[in-house]
Amino acid sequence: MKTRYGMVIDVDRCTGCGACMVACAAENNVPPGSPRVTPRTGITPMLVHKVSNGADGEGRREAFLPVTCMQCEHETPCVSVCPQQAVQLDPATGIVMQMPQRCLGCRYCMTACPYHARYFNWWDPAWPQGMEKSLNPGVAVRMRGVVEKCNLCHARLHAAQEKAAAAGKREINPHDYVPACVEACPTRAITFGNLADEKDPASQAARSPEAFRLLARLGTEPKVYYRSTRPWVRALAEPDTGRKEVQHG
Amino acid sequence: MKLTRRDLLTLGGGVTTGLLFTPVPWKLLDDTSIWTQNWPWIPQPARGPVEVKNSFCALCPNGCGMRVRLAAGWPVGVSGMPHHPVNQGALCPLGFGAHQLNWHPRRLRQVRHHGRASSWTEALGAFRKACAAGPVAIIDGYPGRAASSLFQSFSRRHGSYGVTLCAEERALGPYETWSGVPATALGYDLENTATIVSFGAPLLDGWSAPGRFTRLWSERSAGVTNPQLRLIQVEASQSRTAACAWRWVSIAPGSEAALAAGLARALHEEHRASENVPMPPTTLAEAATRSGLSEDAIRELARTMVARGPVLAIAAAPEPAVAALNIVLGAVGARGGIVRRRQHAESYASADSVKGPFRAVLIDSSVPGEFALRTDAEVFRFAAWEDPAVHADWWLPAPGFLEEPSDIPAAPASSIETYALAVALASPPPEVRSAAQFLAQVNPSLASVEKVIHERCQQLFAARTGHLHREQSTAVANLKSAEALEKEFRSGAVWMGDPPRTGGVRCQLREWPAQQAMDAPHAATWTGGWIPAVLPPLATKLYQESSLREPPARSEI
Repeated sequence: MKTRYGMVIDVDRCTGCGACMVACAAENNVPPGSPRVTPRTGITPMLVHKVSNGADGEGRREAFLPVTCMQCEHETPCVSVCPQQAVQLDPATGIVMQMPQRCLGCRYCMTACPYHARYFNWWDPAWPQGMEKSLNPGVAVRMRGVVEKCNLCHARLHAAQEKAAAAGKREINPHDYVPACVEACPTRAITFGNLADEKDPASQAARSPEAFRLLARLGTEPKVYYRSTRPWVRALAEPDTGRKEVQHG
Repeated sequence: MKLTRRDLLTLGGGVTTGLLFTPVPWKLLDDTSIWTQNWPWIPQPARGPVEVKNSFCALCPNGCGMRVRLAAGWPVGVSGMPHHPVNQGALCPLGFGAHQLNWHPRRLRQVRHHGRASSWTEALGAFRKACAAGPVAIIDGYPGRAASSLFQSFSRRHGSYGVTLCAEERALGPYETWSGVPATALGYDLENTATIVSFGAPLLDGWSAPGRFTRLWSERSAGVTNPQLRLIQVEASQSRTAACAWRWVSIAPGSEAALAAGLARALHEEHRASENVPMPPTTLAEAATRSGLSEDAIRELARTMVARGPVLAIAAAPEPAVAALNIVLGAVGARGGIVRRRQHAESYASADSVKGPFRAVLIDSSVPGEFALRTDAEVFRFAAWEDPAVHADWWLPAPGFLEEPSDIPAAPASSIETYALAVALASPPPEVRSAAQFLAQVNPSLASVEKVIHERCQQLFAARTGHLHREQSTAVANLKSAEALEKEFRSGAVWMGDPPRTGGVRCQLREWPAQQAMDAPHAATWTGGWIPAVLPPLATKLYQESSLREPPARSEI
């Protein structure tokens, strides 16, 4: 069966707690920010934005919009511009892979990404003394000068594939491969799965009439979907059609 | 042929231009970049066998169940325990980075006396001297543990015992006053409630155990126009909970008690009050003036509240008017309301009410940093992380995250009685001792924490009630021995008591309580009122690398 991993984020269920952000950083050995770090220079492969309908007083409504790499399927912008072939769309899984070993640090991909979902390592990765013992052995630490982004916790996919292979199976058990942000969400707002499988809950959620994608008009076919019953939240998907205010995280 | 300066310059220019059309400079640039990016001091993850073990977080009294991934014997990742009956696989954001806390630069690794390095021998000598000279006080921030019972045993001989309760338990204080049932035995039966009116309680932002209400809200309320669970948030500003609530009622700051009285009056006037409780002296007009709502809006809110029962009002702080409103609503001692989860429970003296004069005050590491006791006594403060803003004569290094075994009593305000054992999964630094170990050295007749845990397991086995939760649930009555029960606990099982009985709490209220100013709501840090001295370094993702939250004022990342 064809596999296209993706996720559906239910914006109505997101409370903006930030557990996905911390769990993502811990899983992927993202270093804590330096004292000088800002939202502009930090590394947050999963970043929750606070958005509002732009009204004031009791009419004001707020929501939280987790933004990560959208895993664009069609003419993936970052793949198109990378001079080093450090970004590739995995034909087997649909995951847009970032290979820091090949990255030159030119940051073309950051410019090309319409979602600002890529981050540059401005500093050497550093943890307080001794804390390197707490790093996840399944993920290599990225060096200064390279770009990184969400790989849908590719190390977990490798572990699931190894487990399946050890059991003599070709297909992984879907329960063995769940990205850290999906696992961490206390409200189960993120549904992850194979979008190419019509029976998969994620695929079904993506086909809901309340599902939408950010900047879908660009035609990059992102594999991260959102869902909301609130029209003003759905209007956020296309910035020129109704959004009044967005506070960037 | 004569070689001129012009020839040399031409040659140099030609070579430089030519090189630009070869791969050499670009390869050099690339290699230089790679060399300078791979310095030997860049940390590499530890290698070794990887395993997953169950344990529980003891950083705050919610005691969330965790699955801890270990590599080469060190915790390298934390995730929620899916089979935990209360937190159901959820953790707070700080919990996901808690395994890095033990290496925080502010980790206390040595006994310090007035800022100078000292030793356990000197600290023990000073404490023994104080015990001999007069009474001492012991302050506990996480009552109900085996260590707490040792503190109480010690205090019975040497002085007093006081506790600092978290915000959720303090908010249950008025029910304790009116019913005599200790606040630590009471809980909110959220699972069976249809309408919740929250007076500023951050129900979706760090209130009680992380997964408890958020899961309920997510399954029964989120994104639905007519939800199964209605959450009405009464709050002056649009907090995270207000943003996600079914309905947000914006009121004037500090007018929660007036609005609660107004709602009670509206229910009385419309004969919707379910019990014979006194009419509040506050008129609807007064409540309207103070809250900023109109009289009609208060009446409409009262009708909406009772339209779908059971209904429960929850305050952020001890607010007698909100508690009295619950009596009017018939929510006390009823299904979906305030229930008694435990029949036998102690009433603890508040740490603030522990009166001296004392010769020494010993503060356990479970006491939050913001607790400050005004005393002239010598203060012995156990802590895993130093907090320069807190006064202590002696700073005594205590075990950090997952560095000591502990039992985990029920989460504050939980309607279900639970019990579990947190096993130690990390090695503490050599200089570290817990307060219980310290007191056992002062008084050798004191039992050890392990022994008390063993006795508690035997008592649970003898009672033969409740179920053990792991991947599958097992009745305690089906276990063969107390040792088998303890073994299950050590592998991550959670004991869950029988569901609470209704009618276990009866409040006597002769007159409507006088209005008082509510405590300031705590900062939303996902730790409730439990503001830690330090935060996991990855908290920079929340507080610095995004504008999602304001950093807590007194915690260091």
